[in-house]
Order: sequence, then structure tokens, then C-alpha cells
Amino acid sequence: MKLQRDVYIAGVGETVFGKHKMDYDELGRLAAFQAIKSSNIDKPGLIESAYVGNAHNGIVTGQTIFKDIGICGKAPIINVESACSAGAMAVHLAIKDVACGLTELSMGVGAENHTLRRKSGTAFMPAMNDIEAVHGGVMTGKYAMRATRYMHETGATIEDLALITQKNRRHATHNPHASFKGDYSIDEIINSRMIAYPLTLHQCCGVVDGAGAVVVCSEEMIRKLKIEKPVKVRGSVVTSGPYHNKPRDITGDDITEMTSSMLYEESGIGPEEVDILELHDAFTIAELLYYECMQLCRKGEGLQFLRDGQATYGGKCVVSPRGGMLSYGHPIGASGAAQVAANVKQLRGECNGYQVEPIPQVAMSHVTGGGLSGTEHAACTMHMLTSDW
Amino acid sequence: MAEKKKIKKEKEPDITFYHPDLLEVPEKGLPYLKGYKCKKCGQLDFPKLSPCPTCWGEKFDVVPLSRKGILYSFSDLYIGQPGLETPYICGYIDLPEDIRIFAMLKGDVDTFKCDEEVELTTGPIRKNADGLEIISYMFQKA
Repeated sequence: MKLQRDVYIAGVGETVFGKHKMDYDELGRLAAFQAIKSSNIDKPGLIESAYVGNAHNGIVTGQTIFKDIGICGKAPIINVESACSAGAMAVHLAIKDVACGLTELSMGVGAENHTLRRKSGTAFMPAMNDIEAVHGGVMTGKYAMRATRYMHETGATIEDLALITQKNRRHATHNPHASFKGDYSIDEIINSRMIAYPLTLHQCCGVVDGAGAVVVCSEEMIRKLKIEKPVKVRGSVVTSGPYHNKPRDITGDDITEMTSSMLYEESGIGPEEVDILELHDAFTIAELLYYECMQLCRKGEGLQFLRDGQATYGGKCVVSPRGGMLSYGHPIGASGAAQVAANVKQLRGECNGYQVEPIPQVAMSHVTGGGLSGTEHAACTMHMLTSDW
Repeated sequence: MAEKKKIKKEKEPDITFYHPDLLEVPEKGLPYLKGYKCKKCGQLDFPKLSPCPTCWGEKFDVVPLSRKGILYSFSDLYIGQPGLETPYICGYIDLPEDIRIFAMLKGDVDTFKCDEEVELTTGPIRKNADGLEIISYMFQKA
């Protein structure tokens, strides 16, 4: 999508991610209201449209979130579902409204509560009308097969994969929004319960609840709201996964390669300029492969990139500075919006205790969605943001 | 006045075989998967897709697919779908026809390797709504 005019982020919100007694609507409202307040908005009338990402919590989720804060009746609220990509897609649609001149100010929210409803001890799976799901397919298995193949081709070990968890949870050590954080030894990670060989429990994102929210607006509105640190949306790309039943290289990821290339072109910002990146590290192997898919390093050099410290403080690009999904957990409709919220806070230097230094100026986020047979993922959404003050 | 009768709707039995368009189990001879070759553009696909996603052709020749393939990757699953007994094993099998099949593997955990040869077999993939096994294609070491 080529942005037709400049779009800015005025404010963001995110809840603590973890096991909540609050349902998705309360979490969504908390994040949304934080985003509204931090955008200096003091009355409901300014919000002209809202999009809400959610995967599993039922119908009219967006209207349920917004009715108690006076938005219902004043703006169209549209619910968005694309599994893990839903929250980011909601943000994309809000950006699109402003970019096209349909609105001056719009909101994208992602909210999800899994733990109030979901039985633990089972894995997320595609829908049962999917041929792979009928034959036992689960998301853990899909990523585990990528890991198995990657290890077979490169000689990487489970210990290597565990480095991703260790790095991301270290990044999250002082992040109050993250669930799983601090120092984890490699032994602890690889000896945790086996989920889908070679992925152990600590290499998988936790099943948790949470919400993220983003207020986007036009240049005129950002001035009107007196936002001191406007964040500029340099690119926002949504794609659907190429479908075919031929052999494909699963140590790559066709949809991420395609989406990141489109984002680099749209934003005019190359991979070497990206300071921080939140990506879809639902499982350790994913982050490792995505270094290569997003051209942070050359094909086959992902592990070296990690081992050389290029994905942490002082490296070429700090990957998962908030701690990623491996630290936050992954409420699937919420994560994409929460990534954008976390990136905005990093750009503004607001991440006390986990702030990347020097303060980053270019932030990218990436979230895929859905295990659909014949595709690597059903959807992918990416955003490129820069500080603009 | 006619006595009110309780009408009990006969429930249709759930499937026990998945799926005749995909898998043929002849009375004599070995089971095979059915590929669908588009008469318009020649693309061979599995599973059956109509129309052909490449050219929207709607006529196909059924082509028996090779019974042996190469195990591209796999995973031993210890946490699985709700209702499935664990552990079970899933894998991607690449057939010589340039088609990749996702299937459950018959065998023991910790025994499969990437790039080894596997062959088609059949077996239970799950239970149906009546609690009976659903038979489908699986692969095992050749």
C-alpha cells in the first residue's frame, strides 16, 4: 500500500501480558484508553473509525470494547480476524483510513483473552476444514518441522535455538509488560518439557492474555493534539500467503520475504537502517529464520548473526527489544498491535529499564498469521516507523 | 386427536474414511493417493482443487501418485490437538511428481530422519463424532 498522505502515530497503549481474570474487552479498553490519553485526546468525538483484532473471543468484540468508553454510536467499529496477524492488521486499516483521507484520526486495537476459555495442554491448530489440521497439524508442529530441517541443513543444535529465548527474555528483564523474563540458562531452556521436537516449552511463546492499541492521525491532527514526539508511519504492508502444494524451502519463509521486500520499497528504508525489530518469535526457530528472510544478514548466516551479538544491544539491529513473544506470551489477536505500541515507546525513549541505547530512530515490526495448508502462513503484516521530531 | 409422537431425527453416521477423492484403497493391490491433472494447463495438484488455482480449468484427469517419497521434515509432537493421543508424528513428504504431502507418520518417535525414504500406508488419523476411527493416508519408513 502506497500511503497517499503522511500518517502519524499520536499515542499507544499496552496492558501487562499474562494470565488475566479480566476478559478481552476490559483488556482492550485499558490499552485503548491508554492510547487515547497519551494522544492528548480528552473527548470521544475525535475518533472517526476503529478496527479491532481478535481471534477467539467471539462476535462484536470491537463494539464490546468501545461501548463503555463512549465511542459506539460515534464511529464505525470494524472487527478484524487473521489469527496472529489480526492486531497488526487492525492498525494497518486505521492507517489506511487516514492515508486515504477518509478520516483524520483512527484507532487500531488488538485484544485477546485465551486463559479464561482455553484448556491448557493442547496446541493451537488451523481450522478443521484444513487438510493438514485433519491430519494432526498444529502450529508447534509446523515450526518444529522448520527447526528440524534447519538443523539438518546447517548443523545447528537445540542449544543454538535456545540462545533466542535467552536473548529475548534477557531483553525483557525489566519490562513490566512481559510475562517470562530474566536470566534463563541454556540447560533450563533445552531441558524444559518437550512440546514438539526440537522445540521445548521455553522455546515456545506462552498462552497468555493482553491487549495493545494505537492511535493514528494526519499531520494536521498531530499538530492540533500537540504531540511532542510524533512517530511517522513510513510503511504498512499486509499480504496473503502464496498458495501451492509443491515442495518449498521451509528454512525460508516466502510470505515474510515478500512482505519485508515490499515494506523496504514502500518506506525507502533498507534492512541495514532498521535499529529495532519486533518480529513473530512465537517459537525460537522463527526468529532465526527471519533474520535471513528480512535480509538482516545473508541466507545461511542467521546463526552467525545471532552468535555475533548482532541481534542484541550494540549489534546491527536489536531484535525483540521488548522481549518478543517469547517473553510477552502471545494472545494471538493482540500481539501485532502490542508490537507497534512497544516500538513507538522505544522510539520515544519511554522504556525505562529496557530502553535501547542510543535511542532508536527506525523501528520495524512483523507478524504472520494462521497455519493454512499450502501456505507458509495465511497472512503477514509489517510496519515501518520512524521518529519525527 | 392424534397422539403426539416424539419424532427422533435419525443422526447420519460420521465419516470413517478420509477422503475418497484423495485416497484409493483397492480391494486388491496397494493404496495410492490421487493427483488431479488440469486438462487445461497441465498442473498436477494434490489435494483436489476445483477450479484449478492456476488457470481456473474445471476438468481433470485423475493420476495415481507415487507411493514412495522423501521425508523432507518431521516433528515428534508431545503436545497435540485436543482429543489426539500423544505423542504422534507429522511430516512433509516430497513425491517425485513435485508435490508435497503433509501426513502423520506411522512409527516410533526418535526414529525418523530428514531425507529418508518413506512409503504410503493407511491408518487411523483421529476419531469421528461417533467415537470410531477415521482412516486416511499415512506414511512409514520404506
